[in-house]
Amino acid sequence: MYGWIWRHLPGNAWVRALIALVLVLALVYVLFQYVFPWAEPLLPFNDVTVDNQ
Amino acid sequence: MRAIVRTVSELCITVGALIVLFVAYVLFWTGVKADGLMSDQIDRLQQQWSQGGVHEPAGPGAAAGPAAPAPYRSGKAFAIMYIPRFGFTWNKPVLEGTGTDVLKKGLGHYARTAQLGGRGNFSVAGHRRTYGDPFKDFPELRPGDAVVLTDGTTWFTYRIDKGPYRTVPTDVEVIDPVPRMSGYTRPGRYLTLTTCEPEWGHSHRLIVWAHLDSTEPVEAGKPEALRR
Repeated sequence: MYGWIWRHLPGNAWVRALIALVLVLALVYVLFQYVFPWAEPLLPFNDVTVDNQ
Repeated sequence: MRAIVRTVSELCITVGALIVLFVAYVLFWTGVKADGLMSDQIDRLQQQWSQGGVHEPAGPGAAAGPAAPAPYRSGKAFAIMYIPRFGFTWNKPVLEGTGTDVLKKGLGHYARTAQLGGRGNFSVAGHRRTYGDPFKDFPELRPGDAVVLTDGTTWFTYRIDKGPYRTVPTDVEVIDPVPRMSGYTRPGRYLTLTTCEPEWGHSHRLIVWAHLDSTEPVEAGKPEALRR
């Protein structure tokens, strides 16, 4: 999987490493900004009220 | 064959990395975000109060015990809470409503309960863990502890009478005007705090009850409970 991505990135090893780093950072951003805020309320830490509003 | 093994192991590593990231998000990043949001809310409130835009439009000549103050606006901060037991730097905004979004920005006031200082039961919920851990030390609360709130015009000092009391999530009677199991028998000016129990779980709730001990105008300076 990662080998396949690596082979399909353009440029030499340095350019590829840079692009890979940018991709990883973009993925982390999307996770923290959109995916985790969606997933976190599914965990029980939000239930602090007695009437479940 | 080798390709399959490699792909499966890569997937395992990816899932592991995702879980670590998610734990970091829940434990650390929600706190960073919530601390920022909460201090924003407090700054905004204090700015609003210093400009004289206090929630209650009661003039200085208004009678003690204002008649039917305007309802709080949903999702908006209207008071700051101080609990000396949690440390002298502990202060959190109180917002109207107890929805998930509201509780990310501070403590939430149960919308159908009494107003601050009013007759009935002023009830507030807060996170025990995640989102800045506002009620992390909830089990440390003891009868006699002060819970101080201000709405910009008045300091309200509540004294805890009972708690922490452990109950189940469906026990809505703990925020009744005269809360069940609190030991109060007559209507009065009460305060209820709720959070989750156990610390990281949701099977139970922890409750404390307090009564309104004293009120002072903000011009009189900080109430005794907040003086070091």
